[in-house]
Amino acid sequence: MAEDLILELKGITKIFPGVKALNNVHFQLRRGEVHALMGENGAGKSTFIKVITGVHKAEEGQMFLNGQEVDFKGPLDAQEAGIAAVYQHPTSYPELTVTENIFMGHETVSGGIIRWREMNEKAQELLDSLDADFKATDEVGALSVAQQQMMEIAKALSTNAQIFILDEPTAALTANESEKLYGIVDRLREDGKSVIFISHRFEDMYRLASRVTVFRDSQYIGTYDVDGISNADLIKAMVGREITDMYPKEDIKLGEEIFRIENFSRTGYFKDVSFDVRAGEIVGLTGLVGAGRTETIESVCGITKPDSGKVYLEGKEISIKKPKDAMDAGVILLPEDRQKQGLILSWGLGRNVTLPIQDELAKTGFNDEAKERELAKKHLEDVDTKAVTIFQPASSLSGGNQQKVVVAKALAQSNMKVVIMDEPTKGIDVGAKKEIYEIMGQLAKKGYGIIMISSEMPEIIGMSDRIFVMRGGRVSGCLSRDDVTQEKILELSMEQNSSAKGGEVA
Amino acid sequence: MAGKSGREISAVPEGGLKEKLLSWEGALILILVAVNILGVAISPVYNVTNVLREMPKYLAEAFMVFGMGYILVLGDIDISVGSIVCLSATMACFAGNAGLPFPVVVLVCVLTGLVCGMINGLIASKFTELPTMIITLGTQIIFRGIAEVSLGSGGSLSMKDTSGLSALGTKIGPFPISFFVLVIFAVIFITLLSKTTFGRRLYAIGSNQTAAKYAGINVQGSRFFAFSLLGFLSGVCAIFLLSTLFGANTTTGNGFEMEIIAMCVFGGIATTGGKGNLIGAFIAAFIIFCLRIALGQRNINTQIILVVIGLMLIVSVVIPAISSAVSAGRKKQGN
Repeated sequence: MAEDLILELKGITKIFPGVKALNNVHFQLRRGEVHALMGENGAGKSTFIKVITGVHKAEEGQMFLNGQEVDFKGPLDAQEAGIAAVYQHPTSYPELTVTENIFMGHETVSGGIIRWREMNEKAQELLDSLDADFKATDEVGALSVAQQQMMEIAKALSTNAQIFILDEPTAALTANESEKLYGIVDRLREDGKSVIFISHRFEDMYRLASRVTVFRDSQYIGTYDVDGISNADLIKAMVGREITDMYPKEDIKLGEEIFRIENFSRTGYFKDVSFDVRAGEIVGLTGLVGAGRTETIESVCGITKPDSGKVYLEGKEISIKKPKDAMDAGVILLPEDRQKQGLILSWGLGRNVTLPIQDELAKTGFNDEAKERELAKKHLEDVDTKAVTIFQPASSLSGGNQQKVVVAKALAQSNMKVVIMDEPTKGIDVGAKKEIYEIMGQLAKKGYGIIMISSEMPEIIGMSDRIFVMRGGRVSGCLSRDDVTQEKILELSMEQNSSAKGGEVA
Repeated sequence: MAGKSGREISAVPEGGLKEKLLSWEGALILILVAVNILGVAISPVYNVTNVLREMPKYLAEAFMVFGMGYILVLGDIDISVGSIVCLSATMACFAGNAGLPFPVVVLVCVLTGLVCGMINGLIASKFTELPTMIITLGTQIIFRGIAEVSLGSGGSLSMKDTSGLSALGTKIGPFPISFFVLVIFAVIFITLLSKTTFGRRLYAIGSNQTAAKYAGINVQGSRFFAFSLLGFLSGVCAIFLLSTLFGANTTTGNGFEMEIIAMCVFGGIATTGGKGNLIGAFIAAFIIFCLRIALGQRNINTQIILVVIGLMLIVSVVIPAISSAVSAGRKKQGN
């Protein structure tokens, strides 16, 4: 073979009870290449990665490493062969230090005694080589997701890995954290390492990868040169149909101001935050992670107590002391973490949808199960949830469909006036994203006020009428749809920028 | 925004009679029958009359199953109930011996329990980061300590005027009054948990406290209520216990907390919260009572009875774990 392939998989088929998770897929990784792996949720990417890392054993197919056929019995075999995976949610030990995590399982030992100083020095060297902004002796629980990922990469380097698999590494990162990660991946490539990169973000792929392999419905669709394929063609390959307009933002005649918050402050989290939404308007709220966006919204919705701040709904001041007050007023929050905050994963979809409205349905205090079922079915079908019955547990759905259940749960609250969506498309595939945008568009058309918190520039720019940018707990600026650019948002987001002074609201 | 794919999602409830019989409650009923057959087999005096005669002291305990069930469904635990029973019974004896009329004695007993429960609930709902195991371990020691100090050097106190207690202990037909009260309570609390929005909220909190909070549920209020309720039921337990013992001492209610928790767990309520129901716990309570009576009649000593109950408890939590592991294994092999 002319190409210098470090890893090749041929005809891999993996069957789970009842489903073919992978159906005769192929993959080739050149030495020193960054190769993107793309596809919708459920396309088989994660299963494929688990086959490579020895977690799953494929029923059919061959795997070649450096031209030699290999057969991994377990994850340890893959590790020893120089394959390291960094997952979307880092799997570390939060109570231990960075050093302990990096050397977990392969500590430097002499005579049965762990050589802490040596290990700390080595760990620090690795971190320095990655330009890390934390120390080897820091406790992992105190690190941000981005820093933990960096630690995972350092850990992989410490085992002398040659192939790095990054599974949606940028999903939880902000724009400039992503930028830093890009830098690290570039460096890995310069050092001759090979990288497989899974992502839902096209930015990631264009920035990093030279080739991209697309899976769809458990099948191999093709491998393309990133330079040689258009965005539209790539989406078509991924979803099997053409998505003409990713952001179906229509021009809606805006109504009166429907919701306004004034001077929200909470010591240590945010200060003097004010913004407003008009009926039919989609307001974007962006900024770096830690800028205080989610914290502000949670105070507005009564999850946490602000030190000060006023909320006006349809011109009248309302008092929100607890989550129920916000819901009763018609201010509905779709929380950021759908698995922990938005859903009860062990419960059926139907019960999840009707949880906030059960008091309304049960006038006498007794559950009206028939009515609950009927309403749940209606709302779940309205948002086109991919489910068989309303009784299947929420944990059985993919991320995108879980998000739709969260949306259905909000829509079931018939008194809704304002809907606040915190990172509504985080970690979901392009098809589901588009559907969420369509729902947002329809809600706007019906005259609801919509607030969308997001770290993803394209969706913020694509969907918002106005964009409030937060930095360091304050609103650093407001941009309108007509004059927004990525650069302007970044400028307002970044700390050390003198041109953007905090506290002014357009 | 009708789903453009027109995909239909079924809303028809699954499960019929067969599933009901195969459920854990079904199994518990079979175990209850088996225990009674065992009783008849090993003891010549195991019959309805004798069982009912020995039942009252156990029935008193069963009141706490409902409150404990709620607490466990919430994902909390309360190990102070034995001490609350002791303190409530002690206070009732003081009230009785001070010459207060019997209804007031009952009120003192029940209110003492309620106040103790409210204290647990208050601490648990205000200091949410504290595990309730530790909070109630503390109050367990405190409540019993107060009772012991009140009882003084003798360590025991008898009710002088037992007429009220005797009246409470009388039987209507073959059944003691406490049996009827227990059945009424059972209907109320089982319905409350399984059929009302209140019950649904408890399950929501026990399954995912954060999501429950975001769904507008008053999480801390519900926890406070559950602890208060269990305190109140401990007071009810204490007054019915007095109607069989006619006095309190420093060991009154000793070990009740573990027995009640065992009944709930045996009945299918998970200590991790969000799972199980009171019907199972209620049946489990009677299984344990009948077993104790049967083995007691054979003069098998208490320690061995405890060993048997302990084994049953472990088997009851291991069986579901094994069966789910087996079915998972079968699924894997099937392909």
